[in-house]
Amino acid sequence: MKDRDSKIQTIMTGYRRGFLSRREALRALGAVGLAAGAAPLLDFAALADEAGKQAGPGGIPLSRPDKPVTLPLNGDPIKSGLEPEKGPFHIFNYQDYIDQVSVIDTFSKKYGVEVVLTTFDSMDQAITRLASGTVEVDSTNITPDRLAQGVAGKLLQPLNHSYIPNLEKNIFKSLQNPFYDQGSQYSVPYNLYSTGIGWRTDKVKTDIGSLANPWSVFWDESSKEYSGYTGILDDARESLGMAMQYRGLTDMNTEDAAVLDKALADLKATVPISNPKINITEYQTLADGSCWIHQSWSGDMLGAIISYWPEGQDKSILKYWWPGKGKGVTQNDCWALLAKSKKPVLGHLWLNHICDAEVAYNNTTTYTGYQPAQKSFNADELVKAGILPEQLKNIILTEEDVGAGSLQYCALTPKGQGMWQDAYAKFNSGS
Amino acid sequence: MTAVTERRRIAAPSTAQRIRNWILNPWGEPRGLVVITWIYVAISIVPVVVAIMFSFNAGRSVTAWQGFSLTRWYLDDPRSSVIGDPRLQHALLQSLKLAGLTMLIATPLGVMLALGLARWRGRLASASNFIMLFPLVTPELVMGVSLFLVFVNLFTFIPLGTTAQVMGHVTFSLSYVVVIVRGRLFSIGRQYEEAAADLGATPWETLRLVVLPLLLPAIFSSLMMVFAISIDDFVISAWLSCGSSCDTVPIRVYSSTRGAPLPSINALATVMVAMTLTAIGIAWVVHRYMTRGERRTGKQGGMTQAMGAFDL
Amino acid sequence: MYPKWLWPVFAVPGVVWLILLFLVPFYAVIGVAFGGVDPIFLNAVPNWNPLSWNYDVLLTTLAGFLPGNQYWGIFLRTVVYVALALTGSLLFGYPVAYYISRHARRTKMLLIALIVLPFWVSYMMRMLAWVNLFSPSGFVNKFLLWTNLVQTPPDWLGGNHASVILGLIYGYIPYLILPLLAALDRIDRSVLEAARDLGASPASAFFHVTLPLSKPGILGASVIIALPMFGDYYTPTIVSGSPRTTMIGNQIDIFFHGGPQPSVGASLTMILSAFLAVLMAYYMITIAKAQKEVAG
Repeated sequence: MKDRDSKIQTIMTGYRRGFLSRREALRALGAVGLAAGAAPLLDFAALADEAGKQAGPGGIPLSRPDKPVTLPLNGDPIKSGLEPEKGPFHIFNYQDYIDQVSVIDTFSKKYGVEVVLTTFDSMDQAITRLASGTVEVDSTNITPDRLAQGVAGKLLQPLNHSYIPNLEKNIFKSLQNPFYDQGSQYSVPYNLYSTGIGWRTDKVKTDIGSLANPWSVFWDESSKEYSGYTGILDDARESLGMAMQYRGLTDMNTEDAAVLDKALADLKATVPISNPKINITEYQTLADGSCWIHQSWSGDMLGAIISYWPEGQDKSILKYWWPGKGKGVTQNDCWALLAKSKKPVLGHLWLNHICDAEVAYNNTTTYTGYQPAQKSFNADELVKAGILPEQLKNIILTEEDVGAGSLQYCALTPKGQGMWQDAYAKFNSGS
Repeated sequence: MTAVTERRRIAAPSTAQRIRNWILNPWGEPRGLVVITWIYVAISIVPVVVAIMFSFNAGRSVTAWQGFSLTRWYLDDPRSSVIGDPRLQHALLQSLKLAGLTMLIATPLGVMLALGLARWRGRLASASNFIMLFPLVTPELVMGVSLFLVFVNLFTFIPLGTTAQVMGHVTFSLSYVVVIVRGRLFSIGRQYEEAAADLGATPWETLRLVVLPLLLPAIFSSLMMVFAISIDDFVISAWLSCGSSCDTVPIRVYSSTRGAPLPSINALATVMVAMTLTAIGIAWVVHRYMTRGERRTGKQGGMTQAMGAFDL
Repeated sequence: MYPKWLWPVFAVPGVVWLILLFLVPFYAVIGVAFGGVDPIFLNAVPNWNPLSWNYDVLLTTLAGFLPGNQYWGIFLRTVVYVALALTGSLLFGYPVAYYISRHARRTKMLLIALIVLPFWVSYMMRMLAWVNLFSPSGFVNKFLLWTNLVQTPPDWLGGNHASVILGLIYGYIPYLILPLLAALDRIDRSVLEAARDLGASPASAFFHVTLPLSKPGILGASVIIALPMFGDYYTPTIVSGSPRTTMIGNQIDIFFHGGPQPSVGASLTMILSAFLAVLMAYYMITIAKAQKEVAG
């Protein structure tokens, strides 16, 4: 028995350090007499904690803006100077999050390939489907907190930067070497955004942005007049994180049960006061006036103006506030290539295409509203071009707003994820 | 109490009594019930009519009438009409695809199962019958969750998407087909088959030349019924969806109600309602035509009777 | 006349289908509830072997249903919503079905058609219609403002219990009325006439004859709508979207859409099914009985 335990221990260590793949580890565990079904019950993360560090999937440390992580290499990147393959080329992305005309069609035309877009509803769904092999795509949108999973699970392939000159040329310096993927070995940044409050000045008398603590608008008794016309993002991290920011906390990746309990209690307290709806459709509801104050992602403000603003409605009535760097959350997402892709050269060219200044500009200004991580992208020009209303200049982030010293929702341990989810489910249960 | 006072009371009833008598209407239809019934009919139909009306709104509002436009939200609007918005168009096609395939798979499968279960005797047969009844009573959420888990974890060779959705739809509509067809089987009895056998028909000939034609009305009703329930389904389609490219009309309508729906959603829903009602209408007319001349065992509205007896 | 093997052979494809796509999937729920998660991707790894099932999650989840615990409130709310929606549907639906089956004469066919109509109008379409009407700028508020009954438009869709219950009634009542109508239609008129001949007043005939005779119909129709209502998660989302008015189905939805705890979602599904088993069994027995009667 003792012998078996030590064998299991060895296998787990091998697995954690990346010597064994998940499948190999499971098979090895099976060989020492542990039913394959029971193997996953082993608390991999707990074992890693014993090793004295907060390890994520496959033993890769959990990255934080001030704790950068270099992801282990899954083999070698492709050679330089290869010719692109023939299509069709498959990409995987959130629904309504890339422009067909200015991004996909231009790529098709440039390389003479057909591009097929498959969509997912959430990152969880995307990872599950990639992991189970139920979608086979060449390139995928992925959030930084999932990169380690993608690498540990050997889903992603390392990049050869010689195909992606636009990364160095156009992208924010801090995101050329991001904390979650030092050296951009697997990913290029796509869009970035902050989380704040969007509101309509025609309905809301208070200038929320000038309050001492703008988050308090969801808790303040005087907000009762907006009851039913407020909203909170339907997202465990964002909603609970907001309650934490309301209390002035800045550790957005806490796994402290007491902090989460307090955040949950605070979040529940909004219900009898501002009576928020829980959804992520603020880009529609703020635009049509069925919602007046909504916790919002910055990109959705421009999205509301571009795609959902009723004709003739004054564009200066939509305002946005976020707490600023170090106090509020900024996030970005990425594109990466799948290890199984048979079109790696085309894939690299796709990543380069995404980082192209003109493509990125058109993608944002005609469709998504989410700003790219491009050096050349700036608020003043958007205002001058008549795309961005003057008062919404603060939705555009600058290079200084991201990277070290910023707050970001990062990957948690499985236990931590469970805690956040439980707290959110309790909030959702309304009791 | 004397007869005189009695008569006077009848001659001059109080106002309250008059109202009470008017409502109860002891010599005719109770007016209270009439009023409730028509209120119900109004409440159940008027909102739908209003929603359909707004699909013809010339403006972008679903609550304020801004003039009539026959086709803006169906065809004309380049970005948001049912034809102009690729997501809406796709949802419509996906719904039709699922309903069509489900109808074609569930009906033959259900007809055979009905024949088998109606005549197969024994313990295995009872067990099979029991399994067949289960989907009729299982809440859709439970069925959605279990199908979702089985496709993700066991039948991984079938990815979530159209195939999985069709399989899910067939699973919940199969039992309806069985109930419809079996009802028909019982009502036609076995005398025709016995007669055919006496006249020297082989079992195969009896099935093909006697049973099948007699079952045709039920088979046709099943086809239309399955089409209608499949096209209206939300829960199973949603749990087995592969993302926006597998979204059906009900899923589109659902997600749009969480945001700020345009009249194009009303237009999309109107198209769906029109298709369902057409299917049911055809089923009813054809059923009546096929069973003309047969003794009507049910009361008025054979379809109602049938639906009431087993549906949901 | 037919070979003995013919009928089992006919039944086999359908039965196999139901085993593979109805029974096995339910086993998958159990497997996930008693299984674990993948250490990297955190998605469910079902445990198919009953000998090594891990009951911890189910037991913890079950404990959450005790008064005062995590799921107690939402479960209670679900039960109350369903009970009230059911009562409302019966109070409204029974008179309608009763009137159509007993009294309507010339209008009977028309009324039946008008009642079958909403039955076949998609649930989502009806919800969309309902939400359009009750939205802050919808017709209902316009009417109320016009009549001066209210000064400020009420917010119907902002997390009202009443709105959700009304929404449920509106959504499910067509599924109740039709079976009720069928049940009332089956009552033999001569029994009623006998009661009247023996001197019963209309009211007394109703309470002593019609109502008791329609009891199985009432129960059956109630079960028909109660079962799906217990699994409903979309109606409260559509007509409210507030955490105040969520139902147990919303919790199941949360635990399956991401996160490392699919086993909690599966456990909730199992608990809900177990809770509904009584209703399901009742209804299945009713159907089975009805079938036997038809089969003679």
